[in-house]
Amino acid sequence: MKFTKINRNYYGYFFIAPFIIGFLIFGLYPVYNTIALSFTDYTLMTRSGKNIGLQNFQVLFADQFFLKAVANTWLIWMLNFIPQIGVALLLSAWFTNNRLRIKGVGVWRAIFYLPNLIMPVTIAVLFNALFSFYGPVNQIMVRAGFLSEAMHFLQNVEVSRAIVVFIQWWMWFGQTIIIVMAGMTSIPVHLYEAAMVDGASATQMFRRITLPLLKPILIFIFVTSLVGGMQMFDIPYLLTDGRGAPSNSIMTNNILMYMKFSSSKGHIGAASAVGVVTFIMTTICALGIFFFLRDKDESSFDKSIKKWSWFFKNKEKK
Amino acid sequence: MRKSLLSILSLLMIASMLLAACGGGAPATEAPADQPAATESGSESPTTSDKQVLKVWSFTNEILTMAIAFEGQNPDVDVQFTMIPMNQGEYQTKIKAAVGTSDVPDVVALEAAFVKEWVEADFLADLNDLLPLADELKTYPSVVQVGTYEGVTKAYSYQATPGAFFYRRSIAKECLGTDDPAEVQALVKDIESFLATAETIKQCNPNYFTVGTSGELFNPFLANRSQPWIVDGALVIDPKVEEYIDFAKLMRDNGYESQANQWSEGWFAGMNDSLVGADGNPKKVFSYFLPTWGLPYVLIPNSGDTGGDWAMINGPLAYQWGGTWVGAMADSANLDLAKEFVAFVALNEENLTNWATGVYTNEYLKAIDPTVSDDQAQAPGDFVSSQVVVEKITPTFDGSALYEWLGGQNNYEAFGQAAPNVNGSLLTGSDDAIQRALESQRDQYLNGEIDKATMWQQWLDNLRSEFPDLIIPEPPQ
Repeated sequence: MKFTKINRNYYGYFFIAPFIIGFLIFGLYPVYNTIALSFTDYTLMTRSGKNIGLQNFQVLFADQFFLKAVANTWLIWMLNFIPQIGVALLLSAWFTNNRLRIKGVGVWRAIFYLPNLIMPVTIAVLFNALFSFYGPVNQIMVRAGFLSEAMHFLQNVEVSRAIVVFIQWWMWFGQTIIIVMAGMTSIPVHLYEAAMVDGASATQMFRRITLPLLKPILIFIFVTSLVGGMQMFDIPYLLTDGRGAPSNSIMTNNILMYMKFSSSKGHIGAASAVGVVTFIMTTICALGIFFFLRDKDESSFDKSIKKWSWFFKNKEKK
Repeated sequence: MRKSLLSILSLLMIASMLLAACGGGAPATEAPADQPAATESGSESPTTSDKQVLKVWSFTNEILTMAIAFEGQNPDVDVQFTMIPMNQGEYQTKIKAAVGTSDVPDVVALEAAFVKEWVEADFLADLNDLLPLADELKTYPSVVQVGTYEGVTKAYSYQATPGAFFYRRSIAKECLGTDDPAEVQALVKDIESFLATAETIKQCNPNYFTVGTSGELFNPFLANRSQPWIVDGALVIDPKVEEYIDFAKLMRDNGYESQANQWSEGWFAGMNDSLVGADGNPKKVFSYFLPTWGLPYVLIPNSGDTGGDWAMINGPLAYQWGGTWVGAMADSANLDLAKEFVAFVALNEENLTNWATGVYTNEYLKAIDPTVSDDQAQAPGDFVSSQVVVEKITPTFDGSALYEWLGGQNNYEAFGQAAPNVNGSLLTGSDDAIQRALESQRDQYLNGEIDKATMWQQWLDNLRSEFPDLIIPEPPQ
């Protein structure tokens, strides 16, 4: 009897075992391996690699193109994230507003989400064709008199960055809307009703009820978007020549990593070093977001410290 | 009882999920290796086990055609052909991953963009003992040079890919007064006369461009350098590179080029007169710089109804572009057979003749292997690497479809004149990255976004980042 009881308690472990095993093999091991490789000078074309300590990182931080790639990645991510979250909040507030009662919310949401279903490759090629020298944008602008003659849009630093920012925003704001709306509809209606009785305005309700209760959702969006943004690759890679042209203005961390991997005999060590630095940078920023956006009075951070205090106490006893 | 049943069930479920998870990964990587081999050897399964197996990997199924022909001549050999697409470097990564494992293929096909990388590394077998065959067939020196590193030849090609200059006869007649290939060649015989002719065409009609983009001439200029990009670990900026940049700026500033990027829609549109400027005026492009394969695969499919209005000449500079080499892996278990296969593909007079003259029809291939697909046949016209074969078969192309398309010109003859002048000793394994980095900055300079000094500086900074060990010289003045 006792045996079966114990056994039953382990069912949960059996059920999560596939994920844990999959994670260890396909999630944790690659991370470990990347970190290990970043200390070596392994290349794909020479089989003999050796440990060279921190040399890859020294070279990397002395390399102004790496610093430029980091700056580009942050710039492009921030320029796309701020309007993304802003538009998502605004549209979600409208869609969930009981007074406005907008019809066909599901249809709108689906339409906004659609760009996310198209392959990034297709979108990049499409925008490349749209903005090419003989492309439709030039044809329309010149014939309508906005431009005196056709221009190379993708040779212009600002225009190229703007296109990447726009594509990233356009592809992802639909997804953000879905998550924000889910968060907003989960806020109990009686809070709004009570506020209405007290005579609160729509703005007040948004600031005092919606935003604070939406915080966990916003943190989630913030962190996932940061992780995705730091790994931005396909759109900037495929939009121009795959080297961040014009003038390396849309070169991101991952494009630089790929460049190090694909040339110089496939230097895995140097490419891994880029990956490791991106990993550390993302982790620190994500932890920073959790720390600064925690509830100030009784933060989950403080709670978890309390929760684990028994552990430290037990240790002290021994 | 019920509980133990439950636990067994849950265990089974986990096991099946695990298997499914692993199973999902494994076939994805194995499928391309197994599938073609299975279709190929399926029909002759009873005897397959007695046959000698040769594993051949390629990014183009041209090699499959020759592999079937090889089986036809060697009934005791089973060629297991694996086709891996070259997209996003998948093929290159696959071979790199297979090196040193038991999955290593015996023979690999290598494209011009990365053949040198492999020839300079230690994974290909020394094929110097096939050199006498190459001498016998007078294989074009540039083809052998590309496959050679430090005196050891490791790869041979069945093709030579000399470049040519294709022009529109109607525009030549209208603006230059003649469409005769010899006379037009005299008008574009070097870069100075080429620029003068470009001016003539512009004066003749401002909606005519001499070339699609000056980028097409990057390869021809580079082919005429005196030194490769990298000598003794240091970057060399040959005077021809500077000359090219000045030339490209001239072409841009004087409006001799359409400014459509190579391989962009506008560039292709110029081939069939459908190019329309942003101002609404139809534009025409006089000429394209393309190599042997560019004729059947690029120019003709995009030429619309302009067939017969084209002609080809050598143009201002001799060059080559692209091509497929074959080499044997040093780790191969069947090195002798692998060498035999390379010799058959690249250095066999009969095979090269059959290849170029359209002998490998579907009927021919199906007689050897009935499972072969219907589009495996090789149409006549590919330019082969042996001067002996080229000279022998050139007359057979008089009156062919290509002959009519070129307004009554034998393309084989014209390529045959260009091929011996090509210099194959300038390729290095890092060319692709170095050149793409320069092209990236060049376009900025041509467009007036940056000045020339900044262009050189940014290019060299890029290379410093990409090749930390490369010695970078001072930028040109």
